[in-house]
Amino acid sequence: MRRGFESMLQDKSGLARYATYAVALAAGAIIWQLIASRTNPAFLASFTATIDAIAGMVQSGALGRALASSTLVYLTGLGAAIVVGISLGLLLARVRLLRVGLESYIMVLYATPMVALIPFIMSMMGFGFAPKALVVFLFAFFSILYNTVEGARSLKPEMLEVAQSFRSGEWGIWRDVLVPHTLPYSMTGIRQGIGRGLVGLVAGEFFLSGTGIGLLIMQSERDFDVPGLYGSILVVTILGVLLMGIGRALENRFTAWRGLNR
Amino acid sequence: MNIPHPIAAERKEPSASPARANARIRVQGLAKRYGALEVFRNVNVDVGDREIVAIVGPSGCGKTTLLRCIDGLIAPSSGKVEISGVEVTAPLPGVAMVFQQFGLFPWKTVFNNVAYGLRLAGASKAEIRERVPRFIKLVGLAGFEDAYPYQLSGGMQQRCGLARALAIEPSVLLMDEPFAAVDAQTREILQFELLRIWEVRPTSMVFVTHSIEEAVLMGHRVVVLKGRPAGVFEIIEVDLPHPRTRETLMHPHFAQLREHVWTTLMDEARAAELQLQR
Ligand SMILES: Nc1ncnc2c1ncn2[C@@H]1O[C@H](COP(=O)(O)OP(=O)(O)OP(=O)(O)O)[C@@H](O)[C@H]1O
Ligand SMILES: [Mg+2]
Repeated sequence: MRRGFESMLQDKSGLARYATYAVALAAGAIIWQLIASRTNPAFLASFTATIDAIAGMVQSGALGRALASSTLVYLTGLGAAIVVGISLGLLLARVRLLRVGLESYIMVLYATPMVALIPFIMSMMGFGFAPKALVVFLFAFFSILYNTVEGARSLKPEMLEVAQSFRSGEWGIWRDVLVPHTLPYSMTGIRQGIGRGLVGLVAGEFFLSGTGIGLLIMQSERDFDVPGLYGSILVVTILGVLLMGIGRALENRFTAWRGLNR
Repeated sequence: MNIPHPIAAERKEPSASPARANARIRVQGLAKRYGALEVFRNVNVDVGDREIVAIVGPSGCGKTTLLRCIDGLIAPSSGKVEISGVEVTAPLPGVAMVFQQFGLFPWKTVFNNVAYGLRLAGASKAEIRERVPRFIKLVGLAGFEDAYPYQLSGGMQQRCGLARALAIEPSVLLMDEPFAAVDAQTREILQFELLRIWEVRPTSMVFVTHSIEEAVLMGHRVVVLKGRPAGVFEIIEVDLPHPRTRETLMHPHFAQLREHVWTTLMDEARAAELQLQR
């Protein structure tokens, strides 16, 4: 019986798997509800109160507006991080001079906690849209760049030799060899960047002018609206989980040829 | 059945002066140095049109390096290589290499791997649709067009590598220990299959191998590389009948030739090492 259930769990598409998720989440909600009913509501909002608060925010349109504003910042920053991270990463891997020249800067920036840069960005760029998108960019950028460079450099020299032997030009090497080899590594970086970018988004909305989902969190905090606070945090969390899921799905799609996710 | 080799008449000349009138590949005074390491020096080999020249030599003696020079992937330190009368400075059209570790692109399907060289050579979509399946069939991979390399055995991967090289219909094939990374049985099957393919579409071929047996079976001549730095120690004519088949292995002269190459290749220091590899 036990074995039967275990094997059902291993079947990825199986209903049993989703049923298990649902049961676990329901159990979590019930425990939350039970603990909250014995705690001062000024510290901990119950599960139902949190859901009510989210419903209220949806109805008033506050959540929709916040999400729209945050999404724009987030996608701008993340999109730029993906484009710049991958192209710069490939260039660094292919052009030795560039790599040697920029390596130390990248190391330094990679090691810098990005939150520490926010006051600096504020003093340079103010409070508008651009500095927030820049914060998202900086949070997401380095994992994409780093994974891309490492990936591209793991290309076996033999692959390049094959391309040369078949008289490939530089553009052909990028199209047939460098990019397809590196993309799965970049996808790993993007998946990490998706999570970090979200942290950057909320941090930017906190420390620069309050907008979007960050503002929602701050407002509920200021108004001692505990269910609203929990509700907005829960929304960010769900968003994060969804985005990670999308990231992983994309990653799997680009790595079918590796034969790892059969 | 015994098809006379096109240049059989010329192959009677002493191998010390290997220049031949209709050479497809002409390697002249070739030397390659990596800093202080002199890999080989003064290598002179000609490969006739539709001739298979096998190259044997101990590990690290520079066989791959020599093949890279012939393909134009690296520049020699001195000397030169000519293919069809053109000096090689970069890979030439009509020359294809088969790699020891197959060199397949893992992100491309069998079809797209085989189509790779054709696409780079500017073949049209229609040509690719027509030719690629033909070569996939020729090497016995029909039905695997959409498979990725990780789904294939080593032997099948090298069939794919062979199809990719053959698809551009090269006049020169460079083979770097093509069957060294597959198991013994598959290796034997692939050897005879390559010979069968060669009978259908004969090309000039430089066939690098570790295996003396394979060299004698495949080669019309066997070049023994030896020494430090390496040089051409001897060129042995393999006057076995064509087509070469399994029966060639039973030919009394085959054993003689194999022993000849063996003793040429051996000195006391290397005997033990090579005995292990055999
Ligand atoms: N790019 C390089 N830089 C420096 N040394 C090299 C380079 N390529 C090859 N060598 C050296 O040249 C020598 C010959 O190498 P090569 O790969 O041609 O040998 P090989 O005969 O093909 O050996 P094997 O039978 O093991 O494949 C070796 O000592 C190797 O270390
Ligand atoms: Mg080699």
